[in-house]
Amino acid sequence: MDEEIDTRKINNSFLRDHNYATEVQPVQTLDYIDSIKAFFFSDNGQLRSFTQPEPPLMRRQEAFNRTADIISTVEFNSTGELLATGDKGGRVVVFQREQESKNQPHRRGEYNVYSTFQSHEPEFDYLKSLEIEEKINKIRWLPQQNAAYFLLSTNDKTVKLWKISERDKRPEGYNLKDEEGRIRDPTTITALRILLDHKTVKLWKISERDKRPEGYNLKDEEGRIRDPTTITALRVPVLRPMDLMVEATPRRIFSNAHTYHINSISVNSDYETYMSTDDLRINLWNLEITNRSFNIVDIKPANMEELTEVITAAEFHPNQCNTFVYSSSKGSIRLCDMRTSALCDNHSKLFEEPEDPSNRSFFSEIISSISDVKFSHSGRYLMTRDYLTVKVWDINMESKPLETYQVHDYLRSKLCSLYENDCIFDKFECVWNGTDSVLMTGSYNNFFRMFDRNTKRDVTLEASRENSKPRAILKPRKVCVGGKRRKDEISVDSLDFSKKILHTAWHPNENIIAVAATNNLYIFQDKVN
Amino acid sequence: MDVEAKRIMAVSIGKLYSLRTQRGGLRLHRSLLLSMTMRAARDIYHTAQLLRDAEEEQVVPCAPDAATEEPMEISKDSPQTLTPKEVAVKPQETLEEDKENRCASERHSRKRRGKTAVEPDFLPLKKAKMDTDEEKQHLQGEVLRTNNGNSCRQAETLSAFPTNRAIVAC
Repeated sequence: MDEEIDTRKINNSFLRDHNYATEVQPVQTLDYIDSIKAFFFSDNGQLRSFTQPEPPLMRRQEAFNRTADIISTVEFNSTGELLATGDKGGRVVVFQREQESKNQPHRRGEYNVYSTFQSHEPEFDYLKSLEIEEKINKIRWLPQQNAAYFLLSTNDKTVKLWKISERDKRPEGYNLKDEEGRIRDPTTITALRILLDHKTVKLWKISERDKRPEGYNLKDEEGRIRDPTTITALRVPVLRPMDLMVEATPRRIFSNAHTYHINSISVNSDYETYMSTDDLRINLWNLEITNRSFNIVDIKPANMEELTEVITAAEFHPNQCNTFVYSSSKGSIRLCDMRTSALCDNHSKLFEEPEDPSNRSFFSEIISSISDVKFSHSGRYLMTRDYLTVKVWDINMESKPLETYQVHDYLRSKLCSLYENDCIFDKFECVWNGTDSVLMTGSYNNFFRMFDRNTKRDVTLEASRENSKPRAILKPRKVCVGGKRRKDEISVDSLDFSKKILHTAWHPNENIIAVAATNNLYIFQDKVN
Repeated sequence: MDVEAKRIMAVSIGKLYSLRTQRGGLRLHRSLLLSMTMRAARDIYHTAQLLRDAEEEQVVPCAPDAATEEPMEISKDSPQTLTPKEVAVKPQETLEEDKENRCASERHSRKRRGKTAVEPDFLPLKKAKMDTDEEKQHLQGEVLRTNNGNSCRQAETLSAFPTNRAIVAC
């Protein structure tokens, strides 16, 4: 049964069952991401920032913010050297950290654009009359095994494995192509050449013809023909340096495995498999095999009208390749062990906190829906994000979370308005720092929050150009809940709900964070004086 | 409380409809959450109405309401006051074509049911266009309805939810 019919069944009791044709939107032309700034902040509370000059290639889009540029995912690779962002237009931009140089210590570790490529295009499923969005939902890096980098990127239906590799030398002296790469007329070549590039030796055989075709219909008059008299001797081509070129090529395309919308991908610690998750199913793939996947979780009920929960996120354990977790829209997390059975519908552990009856409202279901789940780097803890809180769970304790942090509890009384403007459905992500001691998640008004698990301190920071001048100190922000508003505080009603930080990333080893604020990417660094 | 519930129901329906025209196809998660909120609001509304009616019956013995006063039945199965959990598990009222047709023919002969079975009047009418006559009758009935000095309940106005008309017209 396709998704359209299933979803209509759920809505059936409320809506008249017309067949609305889905509108097909024109594909937007893509533009460059807005400029990036790097800010510094230090340990002792002194915060500094500086503005990175805009690289010439990245012209600001002068007009209004384009929807296609909205960043939809941010991810560091396993060393932190690379940072990938995906956007609504299906593009992936990869940044690389500059090598430290003694000459310019203040420019230590800036991230510059390394590669940009179009990962997904909008598609139209003619059979179901459905448009498939090109928006990149998730990017996950594979661990580096050779000189090239590999990442998985996914939209609603298809996962792709991309290889990003460098070229800084190019071979010259092809036999069958001229220097510009155009194919040469083989009849003009009379001698053998050996072609070398930095990895392969190729041997070409060229044979002569005693009859020469004339009067081609399709041959271009302007096609270059090398003068045969210039070829008199064997030559061995040499490698000449050229400007660095980074190319991204799709190596695998994993498609047609999901009826519903893919919300997560997670690479297994065995480096051989990965899983992709949609609303009702989780599939396990081998990275080498694209035409087959194994379904390991299926929560689709026999009767769709009895559907009560969907899967919202899933992740593999960082060390144990048989363990993974998935979160649900009902606020529960299930830990599964793939060794127990082929189909992991029965969980090994169920993490669920009983609901506080005093907080019950019309929207209790919605705000308890988990939008993100992340294992700690150690694998000992789980972090979950629902609409108002971040919770840390101990793997060994299922009955209740270890810690609960309020992200923006002042919104609890505003849930009705947030329901009307759809903000209540926003899916915030959450991240651990490298040592699992600090948590970070986003909020509205371009605020993002950090919670220190050890000191129990928390801070609210803002990612915006206006408030951050070069080398300025980034001030902690505060939201005024009620009563008198102090000078620097902002009242709840003044918050801009269109400026939301849904996606953030933390460098695996250092205190460098990437924060996506709509179509801008901010990179903050910890500077030790 | 039921005013709030009513508002939430109206907003939810609007959102459910707009989901259909969104790019990328229907979102299962969003639809599910909207449906659940919708049901919760509907149950609160029913409960509130039930309580209110129980109060009225105690205070003043009301004359039986005219048949026109009752809003159209939306579903064949009349939901009693169920807890949200039960509602979720219970198979939802289905919208099969033949049920609707049967509904239309039986409408006049069907016994008037209790008020608890009544769906709020602002929800879109589920039946196809062939029942326009009955629709007009229903609306006229609403306009004409007054307290008659019989009940404490204020007469509900039609204008509260103009979206009703828009949806029906689709």
